[in-house]
Amino acid sequence: MASVGVKIKKRLVVRLDYCIGCRACEAACRSRFKGEARIRYAPVGETVLVPLPCRHCAEPLCAAACPFEVIKKDEERGIVYQSSVHCVGCKSCILACPFGVLDKDLLRRIAQKCNLCEDREGGPRCAASCPTGALQFVDEEEMKELMVGKRVLSRLPFWRRV
Amino acid sequence: MMSEVKRSTCVMCRNGCQLGIVFDGYQYRMEYLAAVAPNNGRTCPRGNSANVVIDHPKRLGYPLLDGKEITWEKAFALMKNWHEAVKPEEIAVVYSRGAGAADIGLVRGFAAALGTDNLVCGYLEPDNAFRYRLAGVKPATLDDLAASRATLLVGDVFSTSPVAAKGIIEARYADKQSRMVVIDSIKTRQAGFAHIFIQPKPGTEFLVLAGIAGLIDPKLKVDIDGVATRTGVPRRQMEEAAKILKPGVNGLVAGAASLGRVSEPYWHSIFAQILALKAEKPFVGFGEALVPDGKMGFGKLQELVAAGRIKLLFWFGGLHPYSYPELFPELNRVEFRVATSIFRPAKPLPGLVLPVPSEFEKTGRGESVWGEVKFEPLAKPVSGTRTLADIVSQFGAVKEMAGESYQRVKLEEVTAQLPQALSKHLGTAATTEGNLYWLLGRKEAIGVGGFFEPEDEIILHPADAQKLAVREDDFVKVKSKTGERQFCVKVLPVVSPGTATVGVNAHQNRALFPVEVDAGTGEAKIPPAKVEIWRVSA
Repeated sequence: MASVGVKIKKRLVVRLDYCIGCRACEAACRSRFKGEARIRYAPVGETVLVPLPCRHCAEPLCAAACPFEVIKKDEERGIVYQSSVHCVGCKSCILACPFGVLDKDLLRRIAQKCNLCEDREGGPRCAASCPTGALQFVDEEEMKELMVGKRVLSRLPFWRRV
Repeated sequence: MMSEVKRSTCVMCRNGCQLGIVFDGYQYRMEYLAAVAPNNGRTCPRGNSANVVIDHPKRLGYPLLDGKEITWEKAFALMKNWHEAVKPEEIAVVYSRGAGAADIGLVRGFAAALGTDNLVCGYLEPDNAFRYRLAGVKPATLDDLAASRATLLVGDVFSTSPVAAKGIIEARYADKQSRMVVIDSIKTRQAGFAHIFIQPKPGTEFLVLAGIAGLIDPKLKVDIDGVATRTGVPRRQMEEAAKILKPGVNGLVAGAASLGRVSEPYWHSIFAQILALKAEKPFVGFGEALVPDGKMGFGKLQELVAAGRIKLLFWFGGLHPYSYPELFPELNRVEFRVATSIFRPAKPLPGLVLPVPSEFEKTGRGESVWGEVKFEPLAKPVSGTRTLADIVSQFGAVKEMAGESYQRVKLEEVTAQLPQALSKHLGTAATTEGNLYWLLGRKEAIGVGGFFEPEDEIILHPADAQKLAVREDDFVKVKSKTGERQFCVKVLPVVSPGTATVGVNAHQNRALFPVEVDAGTGEAKIPPAKVEIWRVSA
């Protein structure tokens, strides 16, 4: 696995209030990986599209489901990564992912798995390119501040849950 | 091997974003320049396509004659022979997007050197109408965006300039008094941010602008009830918008205009600016390019071509030859044709197609909506391409002739035309019947060049889907005066009943929208199209 010597213990989070559904995140991913998007988006309501980045789960079900141990978890760096060379395209990871993040349409007959752009020092391209700053690459401290996974807070009535 | 990051201004729209490109020895990659204004590394899908454009497998690297490869020597010899066979008045020179300011200066000089007055702007997108600048209107700055507490967006501003959306959204959330009004015939994501969303009938946004301006300044004498009837927008909604936009509140009027969505580009631009003037707000018109006027309107060129008075046509610029496929049958009447292109045409075209470098591979200068910008080459030109200067120099020395980007318009001139313009449009019918529908153009940034999104989808209103007996993922055929195409159906109530929408970044979708001539300006326009839609099996 390529490494630039930077510990990745950060996560991608979406600030719903700022997302305009332009899919620049997907375009950034496609432009890097020759047309293969490793971030997905979900239509929510009539006009709203929300990016679905990989959560890099603490206990990744995609890795557990992989029959050839192609998907692995790097505990130190917090990344769930995939060696595309050995992937046979069985789609087990796609079925196992509880968030539907892995694309059901195989490209080059292999599953596409986000690696948080570990080849790039500035972090994932999707977050770097996000036009409105909705998609952010934040560390654990910032996640606590944003209460990621605990509450959905929004200024827009559409998203208000709490 | 990792080389240095090359920096330039993005050419895909007029927001003036700064891009970085790295060549790693194998492929070009985007780099996001977090410390560089105005976009601080943020890049929309159009900007993200820079490396795709540079590296695209369909880039043209040799001249084509009737679709077959020829050498540059033969192409130049043919051009000279054709030139000798015609009179100067039988030559037309057209320039479009893809030719920078210096290139357009050269084209002007080239037309002068050939002795023809048939110099025409071939960029027909409605956003080019933002080059008309109404005297007295303050151009918006980035600070105005941040300080705005009463924002009016007309057209799909967020899709046209996603990077500018950041400032607009931040201003929207800045305090509880901050208000946003959106006017658009399609309900897009930006409508979700609006306090008032106004959805007029197709192509009538400019009438709503006139109505709101008329409510702010009754001296304009706008027939508000007439506007309400024609646009389908209740008077109450316009009154609420006028209240939000009243003078004395920091605000902003921002416009966008997409092909197949705006019926009157000139009035769309002018009414947005009149409203900005009356509401005492700065104005910004977002668009993909700003291409200055030629010596005559595109409509006049169409007349000359139809009359058989043009024998040799030069068309410079454009991602594809002649830019608009709906014009192909018309332009085929011209005996000798020379076009430049960066991509290989989808189908063989009669005449010469010459490969040129893309805008990402050129040096130049231009204007973004926020001020002057410079362009630096992000990559070497594709092998086999020749610059426009090389091509025109085959006819002798050509001198660059500068011109004005903007065309100034005085309020008095416009207000004199207002009653006539309004009565003309208030009198036209807005509905279709039978299986005829209005087809609207949607220009989402993700659809750029079909690199990221194929745009083979049509959005239908649920009532129309029921009428056509189609469901999500079924197939329909769409036929207009100029083309026919099959689409996959998506059913969403984001358009009004009787209206459908398709993406118009895709070259083949554009062919569904006929090019019309604006009687007032003599320029071409591409309004919403009347189409037939019927169900087909896959």
